Amino acid sequence: MLKGFTTILIKELKELMRDPKILIGMIVLPLIMFPILGLVMGFAVQSAQEEAQKATLLVIDNDNGNWSNVFVGYMNSSMNVVVVRNLSPQSVVDQGFLGKYNSTMFLEIPSGFSTNLTMHADGVWNVTGMVNVYGVFNGGGGIFSGIGGTAVTGVVGGFNRAVAPDVVGVSQSTIIKGQIEQGVDASTLSGLMLSQSIALPITIMIMLTYAMQIAATSVAMEKEEKTLETLLTTPVDRFAILMGKVSSTIIVAGAASIAVLVGYNYMIGSISSGIAGNVGGAVDLVALGLVPSVGGYILLGISLFFTLLSALALAVIMSAFSENVRGAQALVGYIYPLIFIPSLALVYLDVNSLPFVIKAIFYAIPYSHPIIAAKAVVTGDYGTVVFGIVYVALFTVVIMYIASRLFATEKILTAKLKFGKSKPKQSSD
Amino acid sequence: MSFAVEAISLTKQFGQIRALDGISFNIKPGEIYGLIGPNGAGKTTALRIICTLIKPTTGTIKIFNQDATKQPEKTRQIISYLPEESGVYPNLTGLEYLQFMAKLQSTSGTNLKATIEEAAEICGLGDRLKDKAKTYSKGMKRRLLVARALMTRPKLAVLDEPASGLDVLYAYHIREIVKRYVKEYGVTVLLSSHNMLEVEYLCNRVALIHKGKLVVEGEPKALKEKYNSENLEEVFAKVVGFA
Repeated sequence: MLKGFTTILIKELKELMRDPKILIGMIVLPLIMFPILGLVMGFAVQSAQEEAQKATLLVIDNDNGNWSNVFVGYMNSSMNVVVVRNLSPQSVVDQGFLGKYNSTMFLEIPSGFSTNLTMHADGVWNVTGMVNVYGVFNGGGGIFSGIGGTAVTGVVGGFNRAVAPDVVGVSQSTIIKGQIEQGVDASTLSGLMLSQSIALPITIMIMLTYAMQIAATSVAMEKEEKTLETLLTTPVDRFAILMGKVSSTIIVAGAASIAVLVGYNYMIGSISSGIAGNVGGAVDLVALGLVPSVGGYILLGISLFFTLLSALALAVIMSAFSENVRGAQALVGYIYPLIFIPSLALVYLDVNSLPFVIKAIFYAIPYSHPIIAAKAVVTGDYGTVVFGIVYVALFTVVIMYIASRLFATEKILTAKLKFGKSKPKQSSD
Repeated sequence: MSFAVEAISLTKQFGQIRALDGISFNIKPGEIYGLIGPNGAGKTTALRIICTLIKPTTGTIKIFNQDATKQPEKTRQIISYLPEESGVYPNLTGLEYLQFMAKLQSTSGTNLKATIEEAAEICGLGDRLKDKAKTYSKGMKRRLLVARALMTRPKLAVLDEPASGLDVLYAYHIREIVKRYVKEYGVTVLLSSHNMLEVEYLCNRVALIHKGKLVVEGEPKALKEKYNSENLEEVFAKVVGFA
């Protein structure tokens, strides 16, 4: 054993464990954060399953034969089925049947279905029936969004087992922005889009935490290097000092936003070209309109910028409550759950499918908005993006106001966050 | 009579601790006034109030007839503060630091080039001004900070331990500079120091602070005579009942 190693180790552990900021940040927060994340995910799974069970399956019977009646009857035994007849799939979409029956998918039994099944029953084994399933792609992603589609496929499988193996096949199509894309599987598309919905939140999460760590040092460094007192006695408006500090981070935030968008755009391009090869050219995200437009990119950039700005301003304020850089970085750690939880949760979940309370909490967290915006710009839901930008901008104004008040008073020198029962300490000399 | 500094019944409460307990004193223009006392006496708190960093809990502080609590921005235009524990930005060169501070402290009529040349002369760092401050010794940093505090020829310079960390020669150099600025430019100096020799050498008048109260005030020579002491250290020890 190295001489002195144990002594130094024990001293280091004492210092670390007796610092409540480190104790809370590294041990207590993860113990709280992951259970919260688990709760949110649990809610999402439960609600997706309940939705699937409660969902009405719209069946368009364009066959009107005996077998189609048998098939519908079988479906009706395990799902809530509403049958309409003699409509083209596109007219079902155009006439708002999905909204009317609160459904996100419908099944078409095409003309000739009964004829084919009768032939199959008569021994022409190579003739089978086919039903077309049309699922709405909402762009929200979420690994649980395919539960409804899986349920339909499962029921068709049950019908096959009851009647004859593989007597009915399923053809998948997707409704994207009100248009039917034949042969594009909604769940495959969701899986492909998931790859981008993982990358952006993770990138934003890393960028926000890294930028906040840097911003947190701006005031703390002045305190640690003992330059703050001198600076505050110069005939300069305190708000100018604050704005000088925040503006430098604005420039960094702007550069970071552009870097993220350039990288993101490149990634989307790579995914699109990769998909074209893998799925036989059937899925082209650009052709399907699932790549953000120029306006979408601009809105996403603005959303990212304001979120970064508010995070950096908050980091500057929090660093004012610390006496040194280490303390400031530990303090901003308390904000991290507000970044990590939406980033990780929204990788897997569609915010719009969450229960109202959880949805409201996600919308209230400013750091959710660039992630929500990234999904919304794909589907052209610019209203959500603009709402997020306005909300985060207002949040930033409030933060900046608090920061300006803090800088205008002696609290900038004397403010300290206290944890536990500590005796009042103040150098009076 | 118009005073450079008028402190009237200043108190400052930090939670349970009363850092200042109703101290009052006046400083005449062009005077070097010393605040002396043990650690924790309340000297730095008094200096911070005068420099508008903190507000008194009660009492009034006037700097050249301006209420420093009510008009902190105006007060900051005529003062310069050198804290005891003060640092410089490690990644700026000495010259960049002086330029930065000169710009912040300048008024429309300030000749920045002349101000910085003056600071360079005071600190005596020569070519080392082009190096980053993180490469400086403690003494070099202190010389840079003293130069920063005096370069704009403020109406009131508040110097907390100005020669702290300086070797004998540079401490002497700084004391001479302070005296010259008072004589040539009419700068008023409020000084806090533990070095009684420095205080005795520089100050026209001194105030002894103990436990937040001003216990005695006067000219060093008069205080020594009054307490039949050889130096201010002895005076101080007798006043607080240590000797």
